[in-house]
Amino acid sequence: MISKKSILLMQGFFMLLIWLPAGAQQLSATEIVKKTDDKFKGEQSGYSVMTMTIVRPSWQRSVEFKSWSKDNDYALTLITAPAREKGQTFLKRKTEMWSWNPAINRLVKLPPSMMSQGWMGSDYTNDDILRESSVVDDYTHSIEGSETVDGRDCWKIKLLAKDDADVLWGYQVWWIDKKEFITLKAELYDEDGYLVRTEKASELKIMDGRNIPTLIELVPAENEGYKTILRIIEIKFNIKVEESFFSQQNMKTIR
Amino acid sequence: MKDFQLAWRNIWRNKRRTLITAASIFFAVFFALVMRSFQLGTYDSMYQNVIESYTGYIQIQHQDYIEEPILDNCFVADPEMIKKVESDPNVADVVPRLESYALAASGSRTQGVMVLGVDPEKEEKLSGMKERLVKFKLTDTAIGSLKLSDIPDRTKRLLDLFRNEAYSSTGRMMLDLGISTEDSADVLPVLRRYASFTNEYLSGSVPEGVLIGSGLSAFLKINVGDTLVLMGQGYHATSAAGNFIVAGIIKLPTPDIDKRIVYMPLETARDLYAAHGLATSAVLSMRDINDKAINATANRLRSLVSLPLAVRTWQEINALLLNQMEADNRSGMIMIGILYLVIAFGVFGTVLMMMAERRREFGMLVSIGMQKRKLAKVVTIEMLLMGLLGVISGIIASLPLVIYGHVRPLRFTGEFARMYEDYGMEPIMPTLLPDTYYLWQTVVVMIIISIAIIFSIRKIFRINVINSLKA
Repeated sequence: MISKKSILLMQGFFMLLIWLPAGAQQLSATEIVKKTDDKFKGEQSGYSVMTMTIVRPSWQRSVEFKSWSKDNDYALTLITAPAREKGQTFLKRKTEMWSWNPAINRLVKLPPSMMSQGWMGSDYTNDDILRESSVVDDYTHSIEGSETVDGRDCWKIKLLAKDDADVLWGYQVWWIDKKEFITLKAELYDEDGYLVRTEKASELKIMDGRNIPTLIELVPAENEGYKTILRIIEIKFNIKVEESFFSQQNMKTIR
Repeated sequence: MKDFQLAWRNIWRNKRRTLITAASIFFAVFFALVMRSFQLGTYDSMYQNVIESYTGYIQIQHQDYIEEPILDNCFVADPEMIKKVESDPNVADVVPRLESYALAASGSRTQGVMVLGVDPEKEEKLSGMKERLVKFKLTDTAIGSLKLSDIPDRTKRLLDLFRNEAYSSTGRMMLDLGISTEDSADVLPVLRRYASFTNEYLSGSVPEGVLIGSGLSAFLKINVGDTLVLMGQGYHATSAAGNFIVAGIIKLPTPDIDKRIVYMPLETARDLYAAHGLATSAVLSMRDINDKAINATANRLRSLVSLPLAVRTWQEINALLLNQMEADNRSGMIMIGILYLVIAFGVFGTVLMMMAERRREFGMLVSIGMQKRKLAKVVTIEMLLMGLLGVISGIIASLPLVIYGHVRPLRFTGEFARMYEDYGMEPIMPTLLPDTYYLWQTVVVMIIISIAIIFSIRKIFRINVINSLKA
């Protein structure tokens, strides 16, 4: 007869056998997402210059802008090209967004009705820019396997929204680069499980001392031939910028 | 011929009976015609309003514009194409427009509006825009002065009800304020003195001057000379924003449009929306506006313009309105159906009465050797004559009312008018002049009469001579 105690002991031993290698070699899904998220927005502040190209079946056009941000809560964006749009600024303060247009000399707070509209006519909605949900806290994570994206080895991770979380998506599937902890591809699904959009990141480059993707593509699933391409021209991390910089006054004067 | 003579004498033998039967048919025809005329007239006036003040009879658009009326579905207003279209014998003029949406703001108030970029001169010719400019406005100060002036008390009382109302013609104002034609010579100069409103039409030399609907002016609380801010999205998702000056205020018959319309010169709109040389529609001004002529013109033009352009008639452009009217029409048909049912029973009732009254007479005629077939023929002619009498008199009696109702439509005033306007309709109820619907009403009534005839013929063939003579 084997005593109850020894069964427990043996169980513990097998458990150890199973879990030890896993713990030593692999991070849990949540840890991977957290590390990726920290890398993506863990910085105190930033300054970037980007071009955004809006692609539609029959036409496309580009917008150039500069953008300052601090602590994820504050951001100021200035359109620098084309000439028609130049000088427009957008200010984000926590969950509020303001826009200033020199053509009408008017400061407008974005009404809730405009939240689902595309920013500057792109596929990015104002809600995308404003809503701050945490991919770490608002989702449960599970590793679905390993796949390669653009020849790079990635974890495929499913992020399932928690029931009480105030998020736009039902679930997301991320492909995270195993070496760099960068999301190379993400698929976003709504509550009914329909694909809403696919985001892809590529052209990893060292910028301001960090390896980051410099080309981000957003492809909405419903509209064929629609695409928004974001290209990072210049980026600086941890610049010196105060909260007072993100003011309505500054929206009108910044150049 | 003998039968007819017999029938003719028969119907005038008992005048009262004949008149009762004819009267029941007369009322049937009369009410059905008048009711239908009002109904169709109301639809017609709604179509006229929207066609004349807005859509025109035929438009040229980008082929996708009808499905998705957005600025990106516009076309190049190429002068060569316009010349080609203008060469059609029924096309008087081609009026390009650029139409889109924007958020209009003034102070802290905002309203989503329709922006219509138009060619000021051509548009004036097409839809008579200048006539729609507001000529009188019952502002607080105007009402204050008017109350102290020498005008009838009735008008003074009505002033409060129509506070802030704008008028583009004296006719409507006189109706609203209860000014009779006799008084107008005395009262109108007073109104002109205190409530006149100065306005300007669009002009090419003042590109930032715009016209706004009187409803929009009231909502945004802006007046002539004030600044109107427009924000929106331009061609290919550019941002469209600009400051404009209100040059004039117009009053459009459809309140829904009046509340949300901004007219501006075409080039100004093109600048605002970054849509140089483009148009969302070209409205054709027609020489002959008969339905047939319009369709023929549309067909001719279809072979003239090439893709991506498409020719749209007013029915296609106003499909939504047509559907709404069709739904309303259905309920109207049910009403008419009920009316017919009542009428049919009325006619049957009198026929039944007549047959019972003449039972003895018929029995006697048959017993002295009249063929039942001949008798049936005489009765049929009798009833046709009475039916004809009723139908013709009904038509004749309805004509003056229908024509009068067309020339001077029933116009609601006061609270009732407000209610109409809240539903987005002009508060008038005109009639439609006699048309094919007259024929149809007559046909339906004749069907009812023929059923009654069949009924009486059956009755005649079933006559039992002994029984009927006993009666």
